[in-house]
Formats: sequence, C-alpha cells, structure tokens
Amino acid sequence: MHGEYKVPGGKLVVVDFVVIDGRLANMQVSGDFFLEPPSALDTIDRALEGLPVESSDQEFATVVRTALGSTPQLFGITPEAVAVAVRRAIDARNRELDAGGFA
Amino acid sequence: MSTRRWHDHDWRLIHAEPQAPTLHMALDDLMLDDVSAGRCRPTLRVWEWAGPAVVMGRFQSLRNEVDAEAAARHGIEVVRRISGGGAMFIEPGNTITYSIVAPLTLVDGMSFEQAYAFMDEWVIEALATLGIEAWYQPLNDITSSVGKIAGAAQARRGNAVLHHVTMAYDIDAVRMLEVLRVGREKLSDKGTTSAQKRVDPLRSQTGMSRSAVIQRMIETFRKLHGTLQPDVLSLEEITRAKVLAREKFATPEWTALLP
Repeated sequence: MHGEYKVPGGKLVVVDFVVIDGRLANMQVSGDFFLEPPSALDTIDRALEGLPVESSDQEFATVVRTALGSTPQLFGITPEAVAVAVRRAIDARNRELDAGGFA
Repeated sequence: MSTRRWHDHDWRLIHAEPQAPTLHMALDDLMLDDVSAGRCRPTLRVWEWAGPAVVMGRFQSLRNEVDAEAAARHGIEVVRRISGGGAMFIEPGNTITYSIVAPLTLVDGMSFEQAYAFMDEWVIEALATLGIEAWYQPLNDITSSVGKIAGAAQARRGNAVLHHVTMAYDIDAVRMLEVLRVGREKLSDKGTTSAQKRVDPLRSQTGMSRSAVIQRMIETFRKLHGTLQPDVLSLEEITRAKVLAREKFATPEWTALLP
C-alpha cells in the first residue's frame, strides 16, 4: 500500500506498508522532510506498526505525536500529515477491493 | 544580529578538485563531527563533482525517488546524504553546491526556519550583486522572479550544524526527469506545469561562467563575514573521508536505507 501527502507550503510524506490481519505492517515512512535526530524515523515507523486499519486519522496522528514526544523535531510535515498519507493509502486499497468485488 | 555571529569565527575555505559523490557525502559527515568536537574550524566548502549523481535526502525512499535503471543507463551514481530534504540531480558543471559547517552557536535561539534563511543571507546578497533579486522561500528554498534557484538542507549533530545548498546553474531538465521520479502529489502546491527543457536561472540571469559566480559568492562571504582563509583538506581528513565513503556511503545498506 502506498500513500502520499504534500503539506501545502511544506514537505512531502510518503507511506508504504502492507495490511496483515487488518493491521498495518512493514511500515516505511519516507519523504523530503527534515527530522532531528534522524533515528526518530524508526520511532514513527514503529508507532504505526500494528495499528488496526480501521483507526481514525486522529488516532494515527496521536500515536505518532505521542511516540515522538517532545525531543525529536519534525520539520516540513506533522503527525497529522503522516496520518493523511496513511489514510490515502488505506482508501486507495479499499477502492481497489471494491472494484475487485472482494469487499 | 546577522553579521556579528559570523564574525565570531575564523572561517576556512575548502574548494578542492572534483571529487566522487560518495567522498562529498563523507566529507560532510566527518566535518560535522570535527567541527562539533572543535577539531576543525568552521568551514565553507565549495563542491566540484567528478561525475554525475543523484543525491537523495536522508529520509527518501530509493525506489520512490529514483529510476535506478535510467540512472544506471546514463552512468549516474545514486547516493544518500546525511540531511533530509529532496533529491538533487547533479552533472559536473550544472550546479553550484556548497556546505557550511559551523558551531550550533551560529544559529542559537533561532527557529529551524530562521536558521535556514540566516545561513544563506550572504548568498542572497551575492546574487543581488549579480543582478538577481532573490529571496528565501520557507522552508528551504532560495527563489526569484524567474523561479527556484536553490534548495538547502541542514543536519545537526552534537554541537555543530551542517547547512548545504545546491543551486541550479544550468540543469538538463529532460535528463533530470528521466532519473528522478517527481510525482504529481509533490508538485500539487507548486503551480508549475510547464515542461522546461533547462533549469538555468544562474546562467541565464547572470550571463557569467559558473566559476565567476562561485568567485563572486566567495568574495561576498569574505566581505560580509570578515574572514575566509583558503585552505586544503589535510591528508588525514582525506584518508578518513575515503574510508567513510567506502565503508558507509558507497554501501547498498546506506543507499537503500529506505528501499
């Protein structure tokens, strides 16, 4: 699954993942944003890993925000922007499932 | 406040012969450590490229950003740098790239956004002396009425900040779009749709050679900031950079860190 969101006036966030048993797995967040320290990217990926695919945008964003805490600094994107990218990926998947008659 | 902080330092200028892309990545990495530890003076390093390259941002996905097959076909090396931001397409002579490595005190108390603009004030001034009215476009672009001129990226480690910038001198945009995957989503708020053949704001606006533009930039830095002593990389620096290039930046593990 693949989703992208460009923050207006900010940066691009991209998510790639699969859904296993209704949960997000193999999460990779990427993009042309800035993050200090760089290792905080793993924190974001791990925070999203295993979340139910039915989670709300708010839940995705809160999980990312909480995991990052106050120390790492994210520039050009926000936890909400990550949530939009995840939402777009899930919606695209649902449309494909509908079109394929599996839903 | 602007120039006083620069005057706190005895700036070193490094402008070496063309070097391999992985060596440039390594030099940024080790100079950040060295300035942080006080082993190296604050430095302005102007890059010369030994070969074509795509330089990805630290957090970009290799397959999302680069058409690896097209890059290989054109002999373009794909490398990943230590700072965030977007991919750049480099061919020797098509861009002006520089790094500033400084103690964090240079940008003390500034927001991320302010620090970017602050570290390129001298470039805006240099461009003005060349007749280009340019300004900072947050977060990290230098732009002008004829379009984007440059993109910056910063990385912080320990007590130091790395600020590096690539400016478009004369880029073959057709070739660039063959190897970089620039998605529609990324361009969604840019308002540009025209397919340009060349992105050449510095060449077309100044009518000057690339080396003359670089010379003007160096003169402007020195004039505004007091010092800029020409220096060369020590044997020890080059040796360490070569090891780091080989053991980190040339490895698939690093380049495909985000597949």
